[in-house]
Amino acid sequence: MRRIPGAILIGVAAGLLLGAGVLAGTAPAQSQKPPALGPLPPVPVPRDNPMSPAKVELGRLLFFDPRLSGDASTSCASCHNPEAGWGDGSDVSRGYPGTQHWRNSQTVLNAAHYTKLFWAGEVTSLEGQAEAAATGNVAGNGDPIMMEERLRQIPEYVQRFKAVFGTDRPLIGDVWKAIAAFERTLVSSPDQVTFDRFAKGDARALGEEAKRGLALFQGKAGCIQCHSGPLASDENYHNLGVPKNPAFEEDPLRQITLRFQHYSRGVPEPLYRAADRDLGLYYTTKRDEDKGKFRTPTLRELKYTAPYMHNGAFFTLEEVVDFYDQDGGQDPGKSPLLRPLRLSAQDKKDLVAFLLSLSSDKPIVVPRPALPGYAAIK
Amino acid sequence: MNRFHRLGVLAAGALLAAMAQGAAGEPLAALPPLPAPKPAQVALGRLLFFDPRLSGDAAISCATCHDPKKGWGDGKALSTGYPGSEYFRNSQSIVNAAYYRRGYWDGRMDGRDLPTLVRDHLTEAHFMQADGRLLIERMRQVPEYEETFTKAMGGEPTYGRILNAITAFIQTIASRNAALDRHLKGEAGALSPAAAEGLRLFQGKAGCIQCHDGALLSDQQFHALGVPENAAVYAQPLRHITFRRFMKTLGVPNYDNLREDVGLYGVTKEPGDRGKFRTPSLREVALTAPYMHNGSLATLDDVMDFYNRSGGAHPNKSPLLQPLGLGDGEKRALVEFLKSLSGEPIVVERPILPDYKLRTLGKN
Repeated sequence: MRRIPGAILIGVAAGLLLGAGVLAGTAPAQSQKPPALGPLPPVPVPRDNPMSPAKVELGRLLFFDPRLSGDASTSCASCHNPEAGWGDGSDVSRGYPGTQHWRNSQTVLNAAHYTKLFWAGEVTSLEGQAEAAATGNVAGNGDPIMMEERLRQIPEYVQRFKAVFGTDRPLIGDVWKAIAAFERTLVSSPDQVTFDRFAKGDARALGEEAKRGLALFQGKAGCIQCHSGPLASDENYHNLGVPKNPAFEEDPLRQITLRFQHYSRGVPEPLYRAADRDLGLYYTTKRDEDKGKFRTPTLRELKYTAPYMHNGAFFTLEEVVDFYDQDGGQDPGKSPLLRPLRLSAQDKKDLVAFLLSLSSDKPIVVPRPALPGYAAIK
Repeated sequence: MNRFHRLGVLAAGALLAAMAQGAAGEPLAALPPLPAPKPAQVALGRLLFFDPRLSGDAAISCATCHDPKKGWGDGKALSTGYPGSEYFRNSQSIVNAAYYRRGYWDGRMDGRDLPTLVRDHLTEAHFMQADGRLLIERMRQVPEYEETFTKAMGGEPTYGRILNAITAFIQTIASRNAALDRHLKGEAGALSPAAAEGLRLFQGKAGCIQCHDGALLSDQQFHALGVPENAAVYAQPLRHITFRRFMKTLGVPNYDNLREDVGLYGVTKEPGDRGKFRTPSLREVALTAPYMHNGSLATLDDVMDFYNRSGGAHPNKSPLLQPLGLGDGEKRALVEFLKSLSGEPIVVERPILPDYKLRTLGKN
């Protein structure tokens, strides 16, 4: 939360530099050309967490280790399952035992390219995301010191942390660094992605449908207004009026979590009393105009990451395209960028063909490691 | 820490006085009545006491480690704790918990502030690992609870009301009308001849009353007895993990290499407090095996043998512990007396818990 004033200041500074368009709206003014699509650049690596093969391998072990949760039942991979596109395949995520989560589990693939993590951009690094998820009460519910002492009790981890971080015992902050380093390897390779091969000059890489889809994406359908740049995300916040997920009317555990989020994020009481939806960016800013805004997700690897939207409201890309075609949903705060698109049936097929071209030819998977065991300490 | 210094000084003074007088202490007596909580609050607290939704993963309740059928402990030498972990001390009976001035074996909490003691159990990573805000919303998802909180506690579920309701229930779990109490009231034959002989030894030759005195049969002080370490704490990875985490959170120096349960020292960091634990009540003791802070003595006979040989070895061992020279018949008599400390059975049935129900979305 302390970051927010800083973020606003940066926003103001950016507004001053770039003109009123950035301040007034949530997307670049129409006259500004959005950043072009294209292959992803090399993954950014923070200077305080350099990559190494040993760190990545340690991060892989930790990613799959359920001892990094309160009751040793839930690993990162429980909700970010490689076999389910590194999400969990359900509309709303499963969460910690005794709870049900309230948002769709996002793919880890290419998350390393985001500067804002979680659906409403609550944290700004992979390291911060790992910590928040492992300790969040409806996700991992882990106690940091308990998790640290568990790792201390596993000789192989003690050795690996020593080799990677130079410490005599595993430190919890290094856990998040190792997991983040592992996640920085979970990115699309340009030579494995149809669209990237096309963008790099292989004109025949894209089929005719996908080429028409690309034209629609950048033109009539206006997708590029938000899904821009190599990540196909402007990392900005928009309200689309995504329809409610009926799970929140059908599952007591989801209702508990929804109210818990309102309560623990400190919204005013009247809003808590009326809680019936995810308020998105509002939880962070407490500005009315931010209700229902979520950070634009990447479109890469969509083929493997259904269902879609922050609450998993859509199970197919066809549903998503239909949703945008009818100018999104109903919400007083809905983005003005959403307009009826009047797409033909062929247009929609073309768009879906293009969207699929942003995915790797084969799913990116990583073998589940055999985890090292506890041992008594002499 | 000042309070502990004062406690230490008081304890030292009491100790000297006791040594000067020989076996002495507050006279044994029936427990005074506790403030009577409202029955509706007790009834709600009883439900909550048994409700696993008060733990982080909804797997364990208070009753998991404080089982009425196991003397309100868990019957194990070392308690289990939260799933994925194992605890490193014995689960104490909660019978008469409301009478202690300090909470827990090491006295780290104010025993007179029961709601905070309950809170500590709910939120500690090694016990129930629950977030209080999540508990509120779980309670609010159970219509019977919403209704009962309103009637019994004066409003919808809040964290404080959850704690207060459980406290009300715990305040009713107390020993009443044990054979000793009837004996003290003058009822002839309340104690068997063997138990009566045990009582004499308890107050005389065996010197038990030096620490196990007063109505609670506890001086509420801290003593080192030299109870042997329970090797399982360090040999079993899950217990050692919990032990280290606990000592780290208390700020115990060199916790990583510690191979002894330092007890009160973990709280005060006074070297003289190493190995000291709060004298437990002996009421209901026949129902609460195994014994000592680490459950290392399985039976009351073992406990008699332990004291008879002047306890164990520890640099801080209490000078009150001396070889007792008790014969087998005397030890049996003492055990008979200890059995006379069980009160009327405290019958609390495991309740049928009300279920979660759907709420109308947006009407909270």
